[in-house]
Amino acid sequence: MSAIPPKITAIIVDDEELARTVVREHLDSHPEIEITAESANGFDAVKQISELKPDLLFLDIQMPKLNGFEVLELVEHTPAVIFVTAYDQYALKAFDVHAVDYLLKPFTRERFEEALKRALSRVGSTDSPVQDLVMEVRHQQQPLERILIKEGASVRVLPADTVDYVEAEDDYIAFHVSGKKHLKHQALSDLEQQLDPNRFVRIHRSYILNIDRISKLEPYSKDNRMAVLKDGTQLPVSRTGYDKLKGLL
Amino acid sequence: MHPILSEKRIFGLYLVVWLILGGLLALLLQSAAGVSPADAFVLAIPMALVYGFMCLASYYLCRAFPFQRYDVVRILIVHAISSALTSSLWVSIGRSWASLVSEISIFQNVEPRYSSEVPLLLTVGISTFLLSVAVNYSLIAFRDSREAERQAMQLQIHAQEAELRALRAQINPHFLFNSLNSISALTTADPSGARTMTLRLADFLRKSLSFGNKDFVAVRDEVDLATSFLEIEKVRFGPRLRVQVRIDEEAKNVLVPPLLLQPLVENAVGHGIAHLVEGGEISIAAARSGSRLRLSVENPCDPDGPRYRGHGIGIENVRSRLKTLFGPEARLETSNSPDRFRAEIELPAEDPLPATHVRQRMQV
Repeated sequence: MSAIPPKITAIIVDDEELARTVVREHLDSHPEIEITAESANGFDAVKQISELKPDLLFLDIQMPKLNGFEVLELVEHTPAVIFVTAYDQYALKAFDVHAVDYLLKPFTRERFEEALKRALSRVGSTDSPVQDLVMEVRHQQQPLERILIKEGASVRVLPADTVDYVEAEDDYIAFHVSGKKHLKHQALSDLEQQLDPNRFVRIHRSYILNIDRISKLEPYSKDNRMAVLKDGTQLPVSRTGYDKLKGLL
Repeated sequence: MHPILSEKRIFGLYLVVWLILGGLLALLLQSAAGVSPADAFVLAIPMALVYGFMCLASYYLCRAFPFQRYDVVRILIVHAISSALTSSLWVSIGRSWASLVSEISIFQNVEPRYSSEVPLLLTVGISTFLLSVAVNYSLIAFRDSREAERQAMQLQIHAQEAELRALRAQINPHFLFNSLNSISALTTADPSGARTMTLRLADFLRKSLSFGNKDFVAVRDEVDLATSFLEIEKVRFGPRLRVQVRIDEEAKNVLVPPLLLQPLVENAVGHGIAHLVEGGEISIAAARSGSRLRLSVENPCDPDGPRYRGHGIGIENVRSRLKTLFGPEARLETSNSPDRFRAEIELPAEDPLPATHVRQRMQV
């Protein structure tokens, strides 16, 4: 008796039932591929990808809650991805640039097989072109309007303007939103580049401040000052931070 | 028609100017020729008014000899001759007036005095005529430049309308390809559903293409097109998309520019329902109050979703079309609470076929 080769697992992510049906139908003739889940929105997709760690992902771009790129940004596990979209001029260009596999709805069986074959050849490979694509898209979508934080298997969305300040904590950054703290694995300098520079200022090595929250600035020592926020929180302001603040206030 | 005679207000102003000139002429006669004040006024005022009418002719002369087509020498000769002739004619009319007035005993000195002032009057006549020529040339130049400006603006508006016509006839590619994908999915899963969907899509495309060529459509038809669109989207979104339509009876036949509602409805689906896991209800309403019509589209949206900047091209397009077609008479307003979006158009309610209404009323 020969050993049954391990199946390739796949997740289909699309908010339209009919669109998922087409992919499912085409996969019927591939017994080596097992569909382990289907998700109809970005939140579910993040949860399922994190839990089931599929080898292959069929991913729509426009979906409720999170778009396809945001889903990929939030999951640590990156499977081989086939983007499935109807029409998205910008995305198509990016797909070609990064040699990512994609299907344009509606698509033929031949086109499906072709994309599937290429994606399968990537399964298990560590260098994925998708991460570069996600980085580029994130770069295009600046300034950041919503901050996405993965908390366990679920996703929290923080509108950027609700953030009071951000604090560096080792490998993490902490978003302070009306007294609550939300941790994300990211570098403060990386975040600084994404946020709207007219609203968020790096006032210190460890702090980015939403300038709407400032109540007053007080001298602290010879070179340093202290920012007092409207809720009474006190944050250190370095000399370069003070120069940046002066330019904006 | 002469521009001064075509408008009462301007003609009045013109007469006032000539009365003032008449006053000045009277003062000139008094001081230069020692005519008594009463004599001077009875002579100068009527003469000024008469000359005012005669000088109207200089406008036609200026039109006939524009600077752009004739050389300066020729124009000067023309105006020298015509001013001399007009002035002489005026002076002789003045003489008849002087002799007429002299019949009245208190003005009996007027006629002999007049004869001695003929050279002065001729000079005044010639210079006044030349002055009116100069004024006419500047007015014509001013009007021409205004006309050129107006034509340039007209041209711009036409170009804008053409552009908008092309834009409004455009079918949203995202919608089209997604619909085709739904059909492609239904062909195996639900063949009769695929047929229904194909027919609905054909129906929608036919209607919107025909709308592209019309200037006005009835509210009823506009809502009908939006409903066809939503029927197709319902196949895509399933139970996530729900629709409520409320059209007042008296709003149904009102005429509106076509494809005003369609971009708003597309927006409600694309930026509203499509971002909601559970979907929601789109409400379309049309109401008439007196001479105003209000069309509105309202939809729920995701408070945590990406905020769309400026609500998309569709809404901006409708706004600029309304501005081109109605100016300040129409407006599009949007209100955006965290979880609801509402767009409302207010515009003049155009009644269908006013001619038949009139005829019906006349028969009654």
